[in-house]
Amino acid sequence: MTFQELILALERFWAERGCLIVQPYNSEVGAGTFNPHTFLRAIGPEPWNVAYVEPSRRPTDGRYGENPNRLQQFHQYQVILKPSPPDIQDLYLESLRVLGTNPTHHDIRFIEDDWESPTLGAWGLGWQVWLDGLEISQFTYFQQCGGIDCKPVSGELTYGLERIAMYLQDVDDVYELQWAPGIRYGDIYKRAEWEWSTYNFEQADVDLQKNLFGEYEKQVAALLGLSAKKGKGGALQFDREPLERLVLPAYDAVIKCSHYFNVLDARGAISVTERQRYIGRVRLIARAVAESWYAQREALGFPLLDTAAAAQ
Amino acid sequence: MTSEFLLEIGTEELPASFVTHALRSMKAGALELVGQARLGTDSLEVHTLGTPRRLALRLRGLAPNQPDRDETVMGPPWSAAFEADGAPKKAAIGFAKKHGVAVDDLQKQTTEKGDYVSARVHEAGKATAAVLAEILPHVCQRITFPKSMRWGSGEISFGRPIHWVVSLLGSEVVDFEFAGVRAGRGTRGHRFLAPETFDLDEASNYEEALERAHVLVDLEVRKERMMEGLLAAAKALGGVLEPDAFLADECVSLVEQPFTVPGSFDPSFLELPETVVISVMRDHQRYFAVRASAGGALLPAYLNVVNTAQDPETIAKGNDRVLRARLADERFFVEEDRKAPLADRLQKLESVVFQSKLGTMGAKVRRLQANARALAEQSGVDAAACMEAARLCKADLETLIVFEFPELQGEMGRWYALREGMDSAIADAIRDHYRPQGAEDVVPDQVVGAVVAVADRIDTLVGCFGIGLVPTGSADPFALRRAALGIIRIALEGPIDIDLRQLIDQAYRHYAGDADLTPADEVRASLDDFFRGRIRAMLKDAHGGDVVNACLGAWDGTSLRDLRSRIEAVSELGAAPEFEALAIAFKRAFNITKESARGPIDRALLEAGAESALAERFETVRDQIREATGERRYAAALKLVAKELGAPIDRFFEEVFVMVDDARVRDNRLRLLGEIADTVNGIAHFHQLGTKLQRRDPSVSA
Repeated sequence: MTFQELILALERFWAERGCLIVQPYNSEVGAGTFNPHTFLRAIGPEPWNVAYVEPSRRPTDGRYGENPNRLQQFHQYQVILKPSPPDIQDLYLESLRVLGTNPTHHDIRFIEDDWESPTLGAWGLGWQVWLDGLEISQFTYFQQCGGIDCKPVSGELTYGLERIAMYLQDVDDVYELQWAPGIRYGDIYKRAEWEWSTYNFEQADVDLQKNLFGEYEKQVAALLGLSAKKGKGGALQFDREPLERLVLPAYDAVIKCSHYFNVLDARGAISVTERQRYIGRVRLIARAVAESWYAQREALGFPLLDTAAAAQ
Repeated sequence: MTSEFLLEIGTEELPASFVTHALRSMKAGALELVGQARLGTDSLEVHTLGTPRRLALRLRGLAPNQPDRDETVMGPPWSAAFEADGAPKKAAIGFAKKHGVAVDDLQKQTTEKGDYVSARVHEAGKATAAVLAEILPHVCQRITFPKSMRWGSGEISFGRPIHWVVSLLGSEVVDFEFAGVRAGRGTRGHRFLAPETFDLDEASNYEEALERAHVLVDLEVRKERMMEGLLAAAKALGGVLEPDAFLADECVSLVEQPFTVPGSFDPSFLELPETVVISVMRDHQRYFAVRASAGGALLPAYLNVVNTAQDPETIAKGNDRVLRARLADERFFVEEDRKAPLADRLQKLESVVFQSKLGTMGAKVRRLQANARALAEQSGVDAAACMEAARLCKADLETLIVFEFPELQGEMGRWYALREGMDSAIADAIRDHYRPQGAEDVVPDQVVGAVVAVADRIDTLVGCFGIGLVPTGSADPFALRRAALGIIRIALEGPIDIDLRQLIDQAYRHYAGDADLTPADEVRASLDDFFRGRIRAMLKDAHGGDVVNACLGAWDGTSLRDLRSRIEAVSELGAAPEFEALAIAFKRAFNITKESARGPIDRALLEAGAESALAERFETVRDQIREATGERRYAAALKLVAKELGAPIDRFFEEVFVMVDDARVRDNRLRLLGEIADTVNGIAHFHQLGTKLQRRDPSVSA
């Protein structure tokens, strides 16, 4: 099964089970969770079932294309089922069958792995899924997103596509994967890994990234009308009504900040104490966006609740 | 005999650590609620069983029926319930109705607070099944987990989502609902080997029925089966299993039926440090290691406990691949690390923050060297070796392999140092300076390691106290309590004694120019106090809190072994029969002379008899006692005290009245007792020896 056949099989499988098939986000993200189809839609009461591929960037994981297992950009296949259905584990195991893996012939285990994104103010409980000792997926029940309790709870399934493909194709080197007949993973990405590793570790302009971080941070406040003063108990305060806030552009800016932070981190430009401060700054604006999103959906009357009711 | 009751809660895979935790709370909750519901009997047995997918509870010996209950219930004051003429008011009618009795049956109870209404309530016992149906939702609710979660649209929190509940009293379902799931008799077998739901006909058949469905519900049975499999598989590989209690507990909680699948790796990976190979297998993959013989070399093989083994070859092949990639990664790191000597990392430590107000790790290492040198010189050991070990002991923090496995810090530094041809005393010290890691760990047994270990800990302690980072309650982020305990244990169990005050002062001086600490006196005083607290906590169980306190009182805060000699001497004497009387006498001598002036004793003023006898005896042995005390021979000093002064001082207190009117006689007497008290106090503060003594002898005034 080629890399692209793997993607197609998952797309078809989840489409047939009622998921919306959408496209990757067009900004740099560290994981499929950052895509607004997950981060924002997991907030509030509206149901949401979606699946997509997410090219995910982890600047510190770059190895200049020299390590057969580590990449600064890899691909996740992300599925969100909200509310998490009772048969979510069975659905997941069924999806392994369409990849040509008969679960009863392998050792499949659900190993505790709680997930937390300090920058997104999000956390959940769940597992990593092991296939014969290989971690192939993350499985998370979201409990909080942007500091807001998830009600209902979203179930998140994240497939590590490179790892699964290496397993299926029985290769030890990610660059040897067949992406499509005749085209290897390395043909497409090897040079990219070297360039991005060199950029992230050596050449990214530190002042520029710091500056961009600060400017985008200001953008979030401006677009949401976020007041510098906090209310009782640290509550965020906004000068704009929910429907006047530009939540999506503000969220874009949050993602940019998160990315520049990651680059600065890879560049070795952040000290231990600064690190915590940067994370706190991103968490604050992520929370402002999350609260604004909720307020906006509420002001709109949570429209997807009606759509779901009509569908039933 | 009543039937056996079974409760099984079927869940998605619970984390390994959750199962035992949950079962404990399940058992406690069930016991309490069954007791409250009057279903308990003397023969009640509560047993819990569990796997990653189920928590089960078995009750045997429940009461066949809930017994009836007769109870007197107190109500409102009589005057609020009845008119003066005896006519009932609203309160009486309401109270009677609430308890299902007639108003005429209400009785008057006279109490200290006045007259009250009471009712005799008779409650007929219900059938056990009916009572269980009421309490079971609460039993389920009381189960706790290290972390709980919600799922779907539900509000209930549990360790993982719940899928089914079995509730059987004998062969009958006890009906209730929890987390939106209706209890019944339908259970499930192994997720992959027997996935269909099936019915249990009888609670007592639970374990057999589940075993047929590839689930060993009893953790002990499962573990036994797992260990048998592991031992046999190790033998088949021509080796022995590397025992690992943590891994065994973990693995048994990850499977419902244990199978062992052996795997192997390329023998060339055995050139890696053994601890790296074991860490990769254990921490990343949960594999057991296999050795050629007990304590012998590792075999290039591992044992994997799995949940299914329909196709062991496929499973082994997959796991081999994962392990190969991991080991290749580690080999890459080790090879990279070895391209430059350890000392080359020191430069990098200059940009690593130790603590924001205390500067970098580079600065810390320089202070460590200074501390190590001073300590080595005082202990008369090789200062050059200690300084070199101190210089290199943190260098491995900047290696790739320690970045990957932080728990291998020290271990890897030692490994690299040995391969650079470094002296083994220095290499060992790089590893040993982290010891003891906790109460269970050993202290460094060689001097160089001990010196560096102390030098490191005192630097952290002085620095943190100097910027006000003092542990409070459970908050101790820099593990300062552990650091202090480490120093104490190294002095008491390791190869060098430690002069605590000198150590603190030196470490303080070595901070000059690195950080802005609070004044030395304050740091010394608060650390002295802190160490005394740790010493008390550490030694009180073995020697008794008051003995430790008495010795701490006499101790000057310098040599830790000196303190120990005092404690041992007092403990030893404490075991002797005459100890108590002696302690009381010295306590009395101290208390009575607390405020009085000291000075030479005028022999002419001594009364013949008990007083003269005591003075004479004391004069004869005083210098011997002081000499022994000065030479830290506390056991000898105390023996002298007991032998020479015990009887005379007892007699003195029996026959002599101290506070006579004649001021000259009285003051002379107080000077005699004062000098005796001071002499004994040089060894230990007898007046700090516990309340037990005071209670037995009321004549001793505080």
